[in-house]
Amino acid sequence: MLEEEQVALFLASRLIARGNKGTLALTIMIIAMVFVNLIFLPSIIAGVVVLFNQQTIDYSYANLVIEPKEGALLIAKPGTLVEKINRIPGVAASTPRYAAGATIVYKGKSTTPLVIAVDPDREPEVMKVHTGIISGDYLSGSDTGQILIGTTLAGDREQKVERTPTLGGVDVGKTVEVTFRNGVTKEFRVKGILKTGTSLIDNNAYISRRDLAGVLGVEDPANQILVRTQETGNENAMRLLLMQYGVQEQIWTWQDKSADFLKSIVGSFDIINLISTVVSLVIAVVVIFIVIFISIVYRRKQIGILQAIGIDRRIIIKSYIFQAIFICACGTVAGCTLLLAVLQYLAVNPLVFPGGPVAPLLEAGLVIRSIASLFIVALIAGFVPSWLTTREEILAAIRG
Amino acid sequence: MIRAEGLSRIYGRGSVEVRALDGVDVEIRKGEFVGVMGASGSGKSTLLHLLGLLDRPTAGTLVIAGTDVTALSERERTLFRLNRLGYVFQDYALVPELTAEENIYLPSKVRGMTAKECTLACRDILALVGLKERYNFLPGEMSGGEQQRVAIARALVNNPALLLADEPCANLDSRNSVLILDLIRKLNRELAQTVVMVSHEDWHRKYFDRVIYLQDGKIVADPGGNGPGSTG
Repeated sequence: MLEEEQVALFLASRLIARGNKGTLALTIMIIAMVFVNLIFLPSIIAGVVVLFNQQTIDYSYANLVIEPKEGALLIAKPGTLVEKINRIPGVAASTPRYAAGATIVYKGKSTTPLVIAVDPDREPEVMKVHTGIISGDYLSGSDTGQILIGTTLAGDREQKVERTPTLGGVDVGKTVEVTFRNGVTKEFRVKGILKTGTSLIDNNAYISRRDLAGVLGVEDPANQILVRTQETGNENAMRLLLMQYGVQEQIWTWQDKSADFLKSIVGSFDIINLISTVVSLVIAVVVIFIVIFISIVYRRKQIGILQAIGIDRRIIIKSYIFQAIFICACGTVAGCTLLLAVLQYLAVNPLVFPGGPVAPLLEAGLVIRSIASLFIVALIAGFVPSWLTTREEILAAIRG
Repeated sequence: MIRAEGLSRIYGRGSVEVRALDGVDVEIRKGEFVGVMGASGSGKSTLLHLLGLLDRPTAGTLVIAGTDVTALSERERTLFRLNRLGYVFQDYALVPELTAEENIYLPSKVRGMTAKECTLACRDILALVGLKERYNFLPGEMSGGEQQRVAIARALVNNPALLLADEPCANLDSRNSVLILDLIRKLNRELAQTVVMVSHEDWHRKYFDRVIYLQDGKIVADPGGNGPGSTG
């Protein structure tokens, strides 16, 4: 190590080791708090985004959505296509669906939700809608005339004001009347009530495709095939693979299908995140700067004396930069410890969002960026005041 | 050793101009122990600050140990202070977080000595000022007299050409003042150390080889000098 740095380090180490411990601890604690502040909210938002993405996959679109060829209303031979898709490497499972609007009436109250016809036996291999049953049971392959109602759609008898149209509090075992777009009306017995936490899903109704075939007068009706891939994240590659395997229908990734909605949600979160990060960074800059600035101003006389006895100002500046870096490093370590403790607590007591429990997502990039930001701030906070003080007239500094 | 010609230090301008030092000519020979005395505001501290390169003269030339210090850059002045000057402050001016030895160690280390050389030099100089056993004490654990002796040791560790002391006994009781003055006198005699010391205590005169009296920024008496007010 260079001579100057050695002396600066010597000076810094002694000033830290023998300086005021209380002030040092407080400074480190402040930096730790700033560090937690920099990371906590963005990691919560990242957790919410992950939850939202996962729910989109689990309850709405799986990884890939296959739709009829352009101009067609239905997928031709969906059963055969599902078998074919399931044999493609990287595909975990797939299931056909038919989604269309219908009018549901219960005790005089009517609403027009999305009614999704599913294969009850295949569906759980691809989607997690079945896990959302809070009352009654999920559909079975042999079911006819049975319907699952989302909790939002089912409504609440006690609720006087409804934000969205509901059936006013339908329960398991009750009968609802469903009128499809072709004008056919059929009675269904409510077999279960669903609650997934995803508002779009909880406003849907689910029946079996067997029932729908009878209503539409079409054998094996499907306008969607949902595909669950073995890995999430390689949807674009899987789409190409499906095309290479001869799937001629339109193939969309879950990101494509939820693009606008996802973009608006994630975009909003990004704005919140950006504002939070900028505010946290400004707080970090100001707090660290003030704390280190005060510490240096307090030692203004000492800096003057060091210069008076022939210590080069570069050594003095470096010693304060080393001190700032040390304090920042300790603050970061304390901040990491604090953050881990908070994460540990949240793992046991998760934050419950409408979509479900949210675990903060600690992204390495965010942590590295935050640490880097703090160190840059510390460098500036160590440099600027010591630079200013050493630029002063020595006598002025000595006189304080 | 020191030659100052027309040395002036003026603060402010126009109607608020203060001539703290007004065209001082002075020469100090190697090995002299010179006292600078005068009333408060006479310019004695200003003279010492200029000799110690803590301030720049407004006018005049100042040559110390053959170097025209008025022509030095800031960095050269710092190096000159480190290598050629030793400065003892009125209030000791030790770094409170450093032990006696570390306070002395710092300038010797900056000068480029190895850690071992520094430690040896520190111990030797502490022995010289009678604080060998207190090398590991922090300033706060020592008396005022002891702190001032550490400050003197720090000023001497790099074998300066000139030792400058700004009222080193001002904060000490008479017993400790005598100790410090005896020490400086001893260093002057045994090491042939040139010393310029500012004092306002009349009884200090007996320690000096020569006393320069200042009044209103001018030398009014300099028995033993060659400039104005000199009798020698």
